[in-house]
Amino acid sequence: MTATVSPQVADALRTLGPFDPEVCMSCGTCTATCPLGIDVLPRRVLRDAALGLEDHLLAEAEAIFSCLLCRACESACPAGVHISEDIRLLRRYLLRKEAR
Amino acid sequence: MTAPQPRRRRIGVYVCHCGGNISDYVDVGRVVEAVREEDDVVVAREAMFTCSEATQREIVEDIAAEELDGLVVASCSPKLHQTTFREVARRGGLNPYLYSQVNIREQCSWTHTDDRAGATEKAIRLVRAGIAKTRLSAPLEPLNVTTTRRALVVGGGVAGMRSAVALADVGIEVVLVEREDHLGGAVAGLGEMFPNQVRGDELAARLIAEIEQREAITVRTRSVLREKRGTYGNYEVAVETAGKVSRVAVGQIIVATGFVSYTPELGEYGYGMPGVVTLEEFDRLLAKSSGPLRAGGREVSSVAYLYCVGSRNEENPACSRYCCSAAVHASILAARRQPSLRQFHLHRDLRTYGRNELAFRESRRLGSLYLRFGDDDAPRISAEGEQVRVIVRDQLAAGEELALSVDLLVLVTGMRPRSNDELVNTLKLPVGRDGFFNEIHPKLRPVETIVDGVSICGACQGPKTAAEAVTSGLAAAAHAAAVLKRGVAELDPEVAIVRAEACSGCGECVSACPFAAIALLDGASPRARVDASACKGCGACVPVCPEDAIDLQGYRDVQLRAMITAMAGEVAP
Repeated sequence: MTATVSPQVADALRTLGPFDPEVCMSCGTCTATCPLGIDVLPRRVLRDAALGLEDHLLAEAEAIFSCLLCRACESACPAGVHISEDIRLLRRYLLRKEAR
Repeated sequence: MTAPQPRRRRIGVYVCHCGGNISDYVDVGRVVEAVREEDDVVVAREAMFTCSEATQREIVEDIAAEELDGLVVASCSPKLHQTTFREVARRGGLNPYLYSQVNIREQCSWTHTDDRAGATEKAIRLVRAGIAKTRLSAPLEPLNVTTTRRALVVGGGVAGMRSAVALADVGIEVVLVEREDHLGGAVAGLGEMFPNQVRGDELAARLIAEIEQREAITVRTRSVLREKRGTYGNYEVAVETAGKVSRVAVGQIIVATGFVSYTPELGEYGYGMPGVVTLEEFDRLLAKSSGPLRAGGREVSSVAYLYCVGSRNEENPACSRYCCSAAVHASILAARRQPSLRQFHLHRDLRTYGRNELAFRESRRLGSLYLRFGDDDAPRISAEGEQVRVIVRDQLAAGEELALSVDLLVLVTGMRPRSNDELVNTLKLPVGRDGFFNEIHPKLRPVETIVDGVSICGACQGPKTAAEAVTSGLAAAAHAAAVLKRGVAELDPEVAIVRAEACSGCGECVSACPFAAIALLDGASPRARVDASACKGCGACVPVCPEDAIDLQGYRDVQLRAMITAMAGEVAP
C-alpha cells in the first residue's frame, strides 16, 4: 500500500504553533532516552507528521497522549528538535480532528 | 669478469625494530650479531625506531666517531625512508649515495608472519647484500639542469587561472591555453557556491581581471596543445590557435582541464520529461533568476532532489563527492528566496563532509525533508498531469512506500571526466580507472604526476568544489615554482652510463629505452650516449648491451654480483 505524502498536515500543525519535525535527523536518541518506553518511536511520530501520514498519526494517538512531556529526549536530542512542543501540537491537532 | 679488490671500508649497520613491526617476526638481535662479523662492518646496532630523531643523531655521531664511509639501515621500504637516511648521511658529512637501505619490514616481517626463523634468516641475507652493495658504493652528485623560467597552464577554469596568477606573482612567465573563446570554465556559470557563499560568476570574473592585470601571463584562447618535446625543465610545446601553430619553451606544465557534468540518458529517472532537470540546470536556474522559482513557464511550489544519479552504480561506481553538498546548498538558496517551497531530498547516503554538515542542518531547519532509499531500490518516476510523481521506499519510515507529487524533480548529477585523448597522448598523462587524471599520491604528492614536469590540478583529477580546485591550483603553482624559481633542477644521479671505449654502436640500448633517453652519436664509429636528464635509471638498457658497456650508477654490475654472492652465503642456524 503506497501512502501519499501530504505536506498540508504539517502546514495545519504550523498554524497552531512552531513545529519543527524536519530538523530531526532520525538518529533515535529520543527512543533510547524515553523513560516511559512508549510503543511508538518519537522520531517515527515526528516523521509521520512531517510526511503528513495522517492515518499513521491517528493510529499512534495513544502513544502521543501517553508521553510524559518530561523532555528527557529533548535535552538529549543532538539536532535540537523541540520534541515536547511538537508532541503538544500533535495532541491539539488530534483533539481538533476528533471534535470535528 | 672478476670484481676489483675493494679497499677496506668502514661501514655502519643499523637494524630497526620498527616498534614491533619488524621485531615481532624477525629476531633483530640475531640479525645484528650475524652481520657484526661481516668484513668492513665497524658498527652494528639495533634501534626501536631508526627514523626517530634520537637514533638519527646517534648515526650522525657514529659517522664522525667511527669515521664511517658507508651506511646501511635495515628497516622499511626505501619508498618510505630512503630520503630520510640519505639526509642523515649528508648531516654526518657522508655522500648520500654511500647509504643503502635494506627492506626487512615489507620483505621479511610483514610477509613471513608464520615463519619467524625463516624471516630472520632472510633478513640476515638481505642485510649482507646491502653491506656488499655499500662496500662497492661510490659518491655521486645530483645532476643539475638549468630550467626554462616559464610555465604552460592548460585550461582556463578557476584552477588553471588561479595557478597562472600565483605563478606570475612569483615572477614566472605563464602561457595559459584555453580551448574555448573565453576564460572562466564551469564555475563562470554558477551563482552562490558552498561552503564560502562566493558567487561562481564573480569568482571567475575576478580571476579574469587579475590575469588581465599581469603582463607575465599570455592568454591563448581557442587554442589547444598539439605537441611536447624536450627534457625535464626544458620543454618545447606547440600550441595551435585557429590553425596556426606556434612553439613556446616552458619549464613546467600544469594541466587543469576540468570536468563535464553527467547528462542522464533520456528517460533515466524521467530525464527529458517536463519538470525534470539536472543539478547543473537547477543551479543555472537559481543563478539566473530571483524571487519565487519558475520553471517551464510555471510556478514551482515543490521540489524533489534525487541523489546519486549517474554515480555509485554499475556503470560508474565512483561517488562524485561534491554533489550531496551542492544539492543541500541549492535547497537552502531555494528556501531562502521562497520560504513556502516544499523540498524533499531522496538520498542513499549523505556525504556532507566537514563544514557542509552545517548546511545539512540548516536545510532541515528551513524545512527540507530527507528520505533515504536503499541502494537497489531506486525511486520510480512518472508524469502526473503537469507534475512529477515519485514513488520511494523510505528506510527512515520503516521502509514504507510513499508517493509524492512535485513541480520539479532535480536529478543530482555528478562530475565526469572530460575525454581528451589528444592531450593524454601528447603529455602521456596517467588516466585512472575512473577516467580522471591520476596524481602520484592523493595526500603525499597531490598534484604531481608520474610524468616529470607535468602537474595536474582542479576537477580533471577528480570531483572537486571550486574552493578545492583553487587550492589544488595553488599547490600545482607552488610545485612548479619550486622547480622554476631556482633556475636549476637537481636530478637523481642514479642513471645509466656508457663506457664509450667498449660501445660498438649497435643501437640495442636505443630501442630498449622506454624514455627515449639514449641516442647514437654520429662520428667515425657511432657511440651510444645517455641523456641523463631523460634517463629514469630503470636499467632496461643494461642487460641488452652485447658488449656489457652500460652500467647503472648506484646499481653497477659489480655491486649486484657482490650482492648475489653475499645473499647466497651460509647462515648459521
